[in-house]
Amino acid sequence: MRQVIPIGVLGVLLGTVAGCKATAVTPDALELLPKREQLIRLSMDLRGIHPTEDELKAFDKADDPNGMYADLADQWIADPAFIGRMKEIFNQRYLVRNGQTYFDPSDGGLAGMDERVLADDIANEPLALLEYTITNELPYSYMVTASHTMANPDLAKFWGIDYPADANGGWVPAQYSDGRPESGMLTMTTTWQKYPSMGGNANRHRANAISKMFLCDDYLSRPIVLNRAAVDQLTISPEEAINTNAGCQACHSTLDPIAGNFFGFFNYDALDGIDQTKYRPENEEEWRYYSGKEPGYYGHPTGNIPEFGRTLAKDSRFGDCAVRTVWEGLTQREMADEDWPEVSVHRDVYESNDENLKEVVRSIVTSDPYKAVSAHDPDLNERLAGRKAASPEQLSSLFKQLTGYVWLFDGRDGLKNNSLGLPVLAGGIDGDFVTNRSYVPSVGTVFVQERIAQAAGYWVATHDLDPARTEEAKLLNLVTVNDTPTSAPDAFKQQIQSLYLNITGVPLAADAKEPAELMNLWTYQYSVDASPTNAWAGVVSAVLRDPRVLFY
Amino acid sequence: MSTFNERKRRNDVSRRAFLGGAAGLMTAGGLWYPRKAMAAPIERKFLFFWAGGGWDTTTILDPHYGPDGSSAVPGVDMDQNTFLGKKGNVTYTSGPDRLDVDKYFRNWAGYTAIVRGIDTHSVGHDSSTQFMMTGTSASSYADWPTILAANSTLDYPLPHIVFSGPSFPGTSGSAVVRAGGGTLLSLIDGSINGQSSAPSPDIMPPADDMIDQFVYKRVAEFASQQKGLARDRADGMLSNVERAMELEGRQFEAGLDNLGNTLLDQMLKASEMFRLGLSRSAMIQIPGGYDTHSGNNQQAPQQVAFYAALDQLMEHLANTPGHTADYLINEVVIVAASDFGRTPKLNGGNGKDHWPYNSVLVAGAGVRGNQVHGYTDDSLIATPIDLKTGQQDDGGTMLGCEHVGLAYLKIGGLDPSRFLPGVDVLESLIR
Repeated sequence: MRQVIPIGVLGVLLGTVAGCKATAVTPDALELLPKREQLIRLSMDLRGIHPTEDELKAFDKADDPNGMYADLADQWIADPAFIGRMKEIFNQRYLVRNGQTYFDPSDGGLAGMDERVLADDIANEPLALLEYTITNELPYSYMVTASHTMANPDLAKFWGIDYPADANGGWVPAQYSDGRPESGMLTMTTTWQKYPSMGGNANRHRANAISKMFLCDDYLSRPIVLNRAAVDQLTISPEEAINTNAGCQACHSTLDPIAGNFFGFFNYDALDGIDQTKYRPENEEEWRYYSGKEPGYYGHPTGNIPEFGRTLAKDSRFGDCAVRTVWEGLTQREMADEDWPEVSVHRDVYESNDENLKEVVRSIVTSDPYKAVSAHDPDLNERLAGRKAASPEQLSSLFKQLTGYVWLFDGRDGLKNNSLGLPVLAGGIDGDFVTNRSYVPSVGTVFVQERIAQAAGYWVATHDLDPARTEEAKLLNLVTVNDTPTSAPDAFKQQIQSLYLNITGVPLAADAKEPAELMNLWTYQYSVDASPTNAWAGVVSAVLRDPRVLFY
Repeated sequence: MSTFNERKRRNDVSRRAFLGGAAGLMTAGGLWYPRKAMAAPIERKFLFFWAGGGWDTTTILDPHYGPDGSSAVPGVDMDQNTFLGKKGNVTYTSGPDRLDVDKYFRNWAGYTAIVRGIDTHSVGHDSSTQFMMTGTSASSYADWPTILAANSTLDYPLPHIVFSGPSFPGTSGSAVVRAGGGTLLSLIDGSINGQSSAPSPDIMPPADDMIDQFVYKRVAEFASQQKGLARDRADGMLSNVERAMELEGRQFEAGLDNLGNTLLDQMLKASEMFRLGLSRSAMIQIPGGYDTHSGNNQQAPQQVAFYAALDQLMEHLANTPGHTADYLINEVVIVAASDFGRTPKLNGGNGKDHWPYNSVLVAGAGVRGNQVHGYTDDSLIATPIDLKTGQQDDGGTMLGCEHVGLAYLKIGGLDPSRFLPGVDVLESLIR
């Protein structure tokens, strides 16, 4: 007797859950964050940094806080940092930032180039198209219908893209030189290197990658239930079994036609590595040899990849998945069936605004569930993040904002690339082995925060206490290098209160014990080496390790 | 992941007390302080090995020969110049190039179980890996070592340490730490900031300890104000601030300054983490590439090298005092697995493609060794078995990765029904 796994199958087809009993979350079902913290959350999600104290004060005093909140949301969506946040969120769906170059740089005429830089360029091909789409307020479906790719000079050289002669060296729309029919991510070399296919797999891995990235539907998450006869048949003739067995057909009847679209990129006869990245129109008909399934999309024949892209974009699940990706990225929740009434509001916004992602983001961040810290309904409370954990990228930008410090290793931001593995230790992903973020801080996260806090604390103290300093102080603006808790107790207390306000965005209570405790710490550290810089570095690091730096 | 309060209710050993007492001073001074909890029940530790890419089960674990023990059956292409190996009740693929495998089973067959004919439910790398490691396809489910680490009765500073290989933390991310590349170690000892482009000096104890304690109080206060999922996240941070404090005090004791480079180095390091009570589970990727769609002959040397190292590890476990048992071999469970198996017949490129029937090796404490559990026929297709005996039973159950995984949990002292309700356990694997 076969036991079917009773749980764990995602298979959430959004269209099928709209009729479930759950209802939209009403405002009185929620406990919202305090006002200041609402604004901090908004800013962290849209820009990766805190609001300024002036912005927070103005918000505290605003006659129409909701109006001001919405205005600031608009401003921050227009901020250049917003694109970085969107790239981070969509990379959790595409998983293209994996540090891979796939080939030696010299194979593509880039001998001597730093592989880490090239890996970033490769990953940025689809993400630059996302940036182009969002910046120009194009429909999200442009990701699979664009008649161009995006390139900078290095990527153009590596992947064989014609970089426009009049471009300025940045990321611009460009065409592949092999004449491939361009259709956004569906025809990017980066996409097919990240999601390769060979032999009898016959592009099925690629078809499923498309399904995962753009429909949020992973064929491989469906349970396989095969009887003995089917298994025997698979052993003898896999392709025949796939084509005739009902259990196999449950997936392959739709998967294989999708796979059939991509045989121009199925390069079994490549001469070498880079050669296999080329498009070969002569291979387009190879589906006849492999699966025998005509290229198509859920019953609709498709004549070429651009036509496939347009058909894919018309599937309502495409829009569902786009909205789900943004919603999950901003709320740090994995969408459950019960969440559909809440998400469907944003889905409507997507539909009525020509698939504009900025409008979807605006809809989400101005909703009450987004602003909530908890829910009165225990079931919702178990799904509502309440407190969100900063990603490694957000931590990097936040530390830079608060202290001016960037944790560089060999000239590269340690929290933004995985050369040292710091992002994964801090709860991030690497695109290959770690593909889901961890929102519960691990001991690795704690150490990452501790060590960057120490480095940034020292950076601040060294800078701010320098008597010859000409720039403004970063954080220590109320004390001098000559002050001690004994000589200037009020200044110390005010400085520590100011540190909390500027670093966490939330003021200490008037009777808080933290100033006294940190003054003791200062005194103790000073007694060890008589260095006010080291003593203040310790104090600043303690504040930078606050949970309100990690959680927002 | 148990919350801080849950652990407090269970009256676990308090690391704060440990750090504040004489033991803390001993560790701060670099002295070894064994935290052996001999009076407590044995808490089994788990060392998982992962052969990424999908190993050929016929190379070692699932031989298919005719009655003469050396001619392959028609339905399976066995490696040339190999034959049936047997030690006790355990059969495997032997041959002149597999002497290290012979040695392993000669020494440790009594401790070792082979599980065959495991349905992986998928033949996609990512999906099968997830099925094999979690028993499900849901991303919210943690893998077996994470579940074991997050639900232990004792507390560990690095509950599940991933040296290399896959990790599915599910909602128990606070129990999982990746150690790869030595970065974790440089974070623990603070040397990471000496490597940065703007080096900064370490904050030395006891000022460092004062800051840790200050931060701990702030996190505790913050956590106490949270509800629901926010509380879980804040509790996770609190637990790990505590763990970080302990690790800073015990880094040299555990030899955390050097994780080593070879498979054996990492094996021994993991066993040391177990001995010292620093971790409950660990994951190590077995070196090599196993996705042999062409050149299937690459499988044997890679798998044999693993058995050579495993033999040395078992020797080490047999001679090393344990954390909660007399010797580690009575405390540690070894699991070696892969994404899926490979097709029984070679393809045109002398490779083998993906196959949904897998085999795993399980050895050590609590394992019914000297036995093969599960069965594949001479077409390398699984047949139903009785989960209580592990033997063929036409009216039995098709063995799935979930049944095997739940057996790991039960060997680890957990109630499997808490994790995959309604799914049976491969009881035969449990001693």
